[in-house]
Amino acid sequence: MSGTAVAAPERQNPGVRARLGDLVRVAELDGRLLGMILTLILIEVGFGIYTGGQILSPVNLLTFATQAVEIAIIATGMVLVIVSRNIDLSVGSVLAVCAMTYAVLMHEIYPTTIGVDTPYGWLLALAIGIGIGCVLGAIQGFLIAYVNIPSFVVTLGGLLAFRGLVFDISGGSTQAPDDKAFVVLGGGALGSLGGTLSWALGALLIAVILAYLTYNRRRRRKFGFPVRPLWAEVLIAIGGSLIVLGGVYVSNAYHWPRGLIQQYAAAHNISPNGLDFEAGVPWPAVILLAVTVAITFLATKRKFGRYVYAIGGNPEAAELGGINTRWTIMRIYILMGFLCAISAAIASAQINGATNDLGGGYELLVISAAVIGGTSFAGGIGTIPGAVLGAIVIYALRYNLQYIGLASNNQDIVIAIVLVLAVAFDTFSRRRAT
Amino acid sequence: MRQRLAMVAAVAALVLSACSGNGATQAPGNTSAATAGATAAASGGTAGGCLIGVSWNNYDQERWKKADEPAIKAAIAAGGGTYTSTDAHDSSDQQNKDITTLINKGVKVIILLAKDATAVTPAVQQAEAAGIQIIGYDRLIEDPKALYITFDNQKVGTIMAQVLLGVQPQGNYAVIKGDPGDPNAAFLRAGMDLGGLKDAVTSGKVKIVGEQNTPNWDTTGAKNEMQAILNANNNKVDAVLSENDGMATGVSAALQAVGLTIPLSGQDGDAAALNRVALGTQTVSVWKNAFALGETAGNAAIQLCAGTALTAVKAPSDLPAASKPADLNTHLFTTPGNNQVSSFILTPTPIQQANLGDVISAGWVTKDQVCTGVAAGKVAACG
Repeated sequence: MSGTAVAAPERQNPGVRARLGDLVRVAELDGRLLGMILTLILIEVGFGIYTGGQILSPVNLLTFATQAVEIAIIATGMVLVIVSRNIDLSVGSVLAVCAMTYAVLMHEIYPTTIGVDTPYGWLLALAIGIGIGCVLGAIQGFLIAYVNIPSFVVTLGGLLAFRGLVFDISGGSTQAPDDKAFVVLGGGALGSLGGTLSWALGALLIAVILAYLTYNRRRRRKFGFPVRPLWAEVLIAIGGSLIVLGGVYVSNAYHWPRGLIQQYAAAHNISPNGLDFEAGVPWPAVILLAVTVAITFLATKRKFGRYVYAIGGNPEAAELGGINTRWTIMRIYILMGFLCAISAAIASAQINGATNDLGGGYELLVISAAVIGGTSFAGGIGTIPGAVLGAIVIYALRYNLQYIGLASNNQDIVIAIVLVLAVAFDTFSRRRAT
Repeated sequence: MRQRLAMVAAVAALVLSACSGNGATQAPGNTSAATAGATAAASGGTAGGCLIGVSWNNYDQERWKKADEPAIKAAIAAGGGTYTSTDAHDSSDQQNKDITTLINKGVKVIILLAKDATAVTPAVQQAEAAGIQIIGYDRLIEDPKALYITFDNQKVGTIMAQVLLGVQPQGNYAVIKGDPGDPNAAFLRAGMDLGGLKDAVTSGKVKIVGEQNTPNWDTTGAKNEMQAILNANNNKVDAVLSENDGMATGVSAALQAVGLTIPLSGQDGDAAALNRVALGTQTVSVWKNAFALGETAGNAAIQLCAGTALTAVKAPSDLPAASKPADLNTHLFTTPGNNQVSSFILTPTPIQQANLGDVISAGWVTKDQVCTGVAAGKVAACG
């Protein structure tokens, strides 16, 4: 493994800062991603000190991570929307239509047809909701791509019209509860993998990381592309594995609360004394992980993703280069509808039903997550993991401020300041780098 | 929820309004029977003695068509009057135009569900100049010559605190409040203190371990707040005062996720919340009987039409006992704009497991809606 093709460029006066920068560059790490992770760590450490360590307990880390999932899932798609120089303001309303579809099916329609809590009912609801999400996305995508109406206008229309549709579907009232199997999608102790399965998932993820790094290195060498120095590969493998193991460890350190243990014991006619279950990785986190990997793959390894970034970089050149830009744009919006439907399932499961206001204001949260994560409104630039981290940073802040009991209006002030500072710092450091 | 969206839209105007309230029933038999086939805009015929116009703000909200309008119509018909109406589609501008339309139609009394307490003033003055009497319905209008008919919103908070303290006199309380910009949220909270919460805290029986406003009365937001409060207190929370049923939906989900079933309040009489009351996962949903409100307004309109002086108007004597105002006379109410307005202030009704049957028999919700998932023999109303 001596053929490291890329060496750190020589510098006249390599200070510590420059060496760190080189390190990041040589290892081909995303500086902004590292910055976001650092921000997250700073937030947690800061609040950890403030609360005497309480806020770093597993249940707190799991709670905000689970709360962030709804926004994070949609944000992965919003990156592609913004990269292609478009916008989607309708996400909250599309989410609400899908969530209300799930809840109405399970609460209103199933009792008189197939029955509640059937093994397949919730899957059928999910399929129907996802179908509706994709159709709503396709309608908007068609109007944007083929009728040439600006995406701002079309999706603003979607924001209003689909919210109105929610009231029609619900008849104006809250629909609750969902099927019991469906509620598992919302996470919490009952919606988690459990201890053993969580370790299995961790092992699988580490295997995937190692396999991917090896495969990538071989492929690059085969085509004569530069590869990372071996030490960097090893460092990334170790870092990735540690993150996975840490995540599983934290998830398993959260145990079922007493109330659930007692319910379980009562249901099984056993004594609750001595009963103890590890909660494990919450299902919403598993879903988010799958979505993040899938959309990242789509964005960076498939033709579709290349086209999206090409269109964002220069729409005319992309069109002249033979890319079917219209179909590509329409597909982005279909994907958005799909992601909203997935997110809707988690949102509905988390409140065990659906209210007419579900997803209100999500468009700004989702766009914020994408932009904080490094997506540029100028188009062409943005990463999916960045957007996911952006969502997690927002919710970490919000949750920790709620935890210490700050009034909601002052929470908004703090969050706004931190987010603007984060983006300002990033812009500043980029300017220095060039 | 519709009513919460309406709240947000009207935040600036709603000072002592009842917009969060879903209609409630317990209607006297004579009103509920006369409701079938109600339509949105009855044409303004002149049959009968008196033409009475209703200016709706947002008729598309389920409550008006379901409870308020039939009750108003029935009361007007009983008094020999004729009903006509307009809908402003949530626009102050349109509402001003609507009132002009009603004036031109020749109405004698206008029952006004105002979009905005002050923006509607030009049309109100125009109407009064034409000798028309205005009834401010459900929501306040800043006009000393109007009759104001609404529910006691502060009392809603009082009832919540009384009911919860009744079943859980001591322990850790969480308070999930509504939108920080909505005066109603603060009124409800003040009402809770009057209902004994403040005394219980002072005496040390109750400790408030978490209190948070919820922007836009958002369900998911309420759930997230409740999760933070539960985690911060190691799940040691004994009761939750939620200011409405939508937020109670989120709170209830957060409680269930950690296996807690504790006293929980709400308001609006949402079907989902009444179902939780039947299931035992919510203690009370405080309800504003919109049938009673409508009957009072329609009846007052007839009296005003017959020339009764504003201060001599009486509330109907056959209102459901739970909703009746303190007495049948009008009382002066001081508005935030420092106007003295004659008013009927009706009483909200707490709905708990024991009186769930009233809701079903009145036709506000069906037995199926309330009793889904309830084991036989557990709740009287569900059989």
